[in-house]
Amino acid sequence: MSLVFTGVLLGGAMTSIAASADEPYDVYNYDRWGEAIPSQAGYIADRAVSGNDLGVGHFSSPADIFRDHNDIFYIVDSGNNRVVAVDSEFEKVVKVYDEFTMPDGSKTTLSNPKGIYVSEQNDLIYIADNENSRVLICDYDANVVQEITKPTSEVFDQKRTFLPQRVVADKAGNVYVVLGNITTGAAMFNPEGEFMGFYGANRVEPTAEIVGNYIMNLFTSEEKKARQARNVPSGITSFDIDGDFVFTCTSSTTQTTDTVKKLNAAGNNIFSGLTLSFGDFTPMYDTTQNKVMQPQICDIDIADDGNINCLDFTTGRVFQYDEDCNLLFIAGTIAKQVGGFDQVSALESMGNNLYVLDQQKNTVTVFVETSFGKIVHEATSLYNAGYYEEALDPWYEVLKRDGNYRRAYIGVASALLNAGDYEGAMKYAELADTPAIYNKAFEGYRMDFLKENFTTIIVVAVIAIAALVVLSKQLKKRRLAKEAARNAEIDKISKEKEEE
Amino acid sequence: MMDLTQKQWVKHAVMHPFEGFEDMRWKKSGSLKIAFLIVLLFFFATIAYGRLYGFQFYVSYDKTFNIIPYIVQSIVLFATWVVGNWAVCTLLDGEGSMKNICIYSAYALIPYIAQIYINVILSHFLIRDEYIFMQAVQIIGIGWSVILIFSAIKAVHQYSFGKTVFAILLTIVAMLIMLFLLVLLLSLIQQVYVFFYSIYTELSYRMRV
Repeated sequence: MSLVFTGVLLGGAMTSIAASADEPYDVYNYDRWGEAIPSQAGYIADRAVSGNDLGVGHFSSPADIFRDHNDIFYIVDSGNNRVVAVDSEFEKVVKVYDEFTMPDGSKTTLSNPKGIYVSEQNDLIYIADNENSRVLICDYDANVVQEITKPTSEVFDQKRTFLPQRVVADKAGNVYVVLGNITTGAAMFNPEGEFMGFYGANRVEPTAEIVGNYIMNLFTSEEKKARQARNVPSGITSFDIDGDFVFTCTSSTTQTTDTVKKLNAAGNNIFSGLTLSFGDFTPMYDTTQNKVMQPQICDIDIADDGNINCLDFTTGRVFQYDEDCNLLFIAGTIAKQVGGFDQVSALESMGNNLYVLDQQKNTVTVFVETSFGKIVHEATSLYNAGYYEEALDPWYEVLKRDGNYRRAYIGVASALLNAGDYEGAMKYAELADTPAIYNKAFEGYRMDFLKENFTTIIVVAVIAIAALVVLSKQLKKRRLAKEAARNAEIDKISKEKEEE
Repeated sequence: MMDLTQKQWVKHAVMHPFEGFEDMRWKKSGSLKIAFLIVLLFFFATIAYGRLYGFQFYVSYDKTFNIIPYIVQSIVLFATWVVGNWAVCTLLDGEGSMKNICIYSAYALIPYIAQIYINVILSHFLIRDEYIFMQAVQIIGIGWSVILIFSAIKAVHQYSFGKTVFAILLTIVAMLIMLFLLVLLLSLIQQVYVFFYSIYTELSYRMRV
C-alpha cells in the first residue's frame, strides 16, 4: 500500500513540473477508478500551421485533413472551395486543387467540400463535394475519372438530399460516403458508382424514454404514432479505414452507445460486445458556459501502429486509445495558445505525430510524441502483440516516469507471470488491482510452494493427526474416569439416603 | 439433566437446530455476554470479509477505508433485527424478552459468522477455479443460520410454524421502516446543522463589518 502512495506522490510531483512547461492545460489520465489524475504528457503541441504560412492564403473553415500513402497531406479548405496538398513536413504546398477537368473536357469547381480520401490501390482522390451533391473521383492532376451523384435506387429515399460529408474507399474500390442527413449508416457504392445500400447504421440506445415510448405505442393509434418524434439513432459523423476494418465515430451529445465502432466488411461492429467509453468518463460541468461538456467524438483516425485517435469536439481534446481501446493519452484543450483549439474539425496522424485541424482558427496544429509517449507506445505495441517479456523494460521505464500509469503495472505483472516470477507478478498485480492476473500468479506460486515443501507438509500433517488422535483418546479416558467417579459418588449418596 | 455451562449451551444450541433453543428456554439459560461477544465477532467478520480476502477474489472499488458501512452491516443490522422483532412480537403475543431475543438471535448467527471466517482463510489458499469449495461453505453456513434463526424465534416466543414465518416477515418490514426513519433523521439533523451553521457564518461576517 505504501508503495502505491509514494507512487502517487512522486507521480504528482513529477507531472506538475512537466505539465507546466509547455501545454496550456493540465495533462491528465484516468486511474483505475475512472477518476482524472495528473499524468505525464504523451504529446506536446509543436507548432500551428496556417494557410498563410504555406503561402496559399488563409484557410477558411477547413473541414477535413487526410494523409495519403506518399505522406502528402490533403487539407479540405471548405470555405475557399479547394483542396490544398501539402508535403509531409508542412513546409510547402505540393498542389492546390481548385479546378477539375471533367471527362468531356469541361471545367468544374467544388462547392463547400467536406471530406477527402486518397486510395492507395488506384491512386485516386475521392472528394465529398457537399453542396454540389456529389463525390468527385479524380487523379493527381485533377482530371475527374468518375462522379458519384444521388442514387436513383428505390432503397434511397428520393425525398432526401444527397450531402456527402466524408468519404473513404476500401481495397476493392467500394466507396463509402457519410451523408449529412441520413441516419441509416454510410451509403455504399461499388467501384462502378452504383448504389449498393447502407453500411454500419448506429443502434438506438435503449434509454428509459425509448422503452417507455415503445410500451406506450402498443396502445396508441396509428395517427398518433405518426405525429410522434421518431426514435432514430444519430448518424455517423466521420470514419477512417484501416486494412479491412472501417472505424466510425458519431458526434452526439445525447447518444452514448456506438459513438466509436469498428466495422468489418459485413458491417458488424467488433466493439459491440464490449463496454467501452470514449472521451471523458465523467463529463465536466462548465460553469462559465452553464453546460455539461458531454464528449462528442467528431473525427477518428487510425495511426500506423493501430492506435485509435479520437477527436472530441466539445473539449478540443484528442483521446488516444490502443487497438484494444485502452486509453493511452489525452492531449489538447479549448484555448487560444498553440495546443489549444476553438473548434476542431478533423484529425490525422503520421508516424508518431498528430495533426489536428481547427475550423475556427484555420490552422493545422502539429503534436509530436514526447519521450514518455514513445516509451508507452513501444511498451503497448509489444504488449498487445504478446511480447510481454520484451515489454518489461519499457514498462519499468514508464513506471519510473509516472508511478500512476496503471497499464504499466498490468504490463509488468503479465511479463513477470510469463517469466515465472510468480511472487513479483503477485506484487505488481496487486498494485495494478487486477485480481485476474493475481489469480494466475497465485496458482503458480502455490504450485511451486507445494512442490518445494511437499515432504515437510506431509510430515507435519502426519504428526499433527497422530497428536490429535492420542490427545482425544487421553481426554476421553479422563472424562470417563471423571464420570465414573461422579456416578460412584451419586450411588454412594443415594445409598446413604436409602439407609437413612 | 442438561446441566451445561454457558459455553456448552452455545454448542448445544448450534448443534441441535430443532431442539436446542427449546432446551435453552426450558433451562432459562443463555448469556448476554456471549451474545455481545458474538456480535463483536460478527463485526470483525464483516471487516475481514471486506478487507482481508485473498486478492484473487477481492473486488474493491473504494480508495479509502470507512468503518461506518461495516458497522451498519453488522452491529446496526443486528440491533434493528432485535428491536424490530421485539416490537413486532410483543404485539403478536410473543413470550420473549428483548434480552432473550438478543441472546437467541446472536447464538443463531454463529454458523454464518464461522462461515465468513472460514472463507476468509480459504480465500488465501484457493484460486478462482476452486471457488466452488468456498461457495459450498458459504451455502452451508447461511442455510444453517437461517434454520437456527427460525427455530430461535420459534422457541423464544413459543410460536407455531406459521406464526413464526409471519413474525419474521413482519420483522423484516419493521427493520426497513426503522432504517428508513434512521436515514430520514440523519438527513434532517444534517439540514438543521447546515441551517445553524449558515446563521453562524452570516453573523460572523456581520460582526466583522
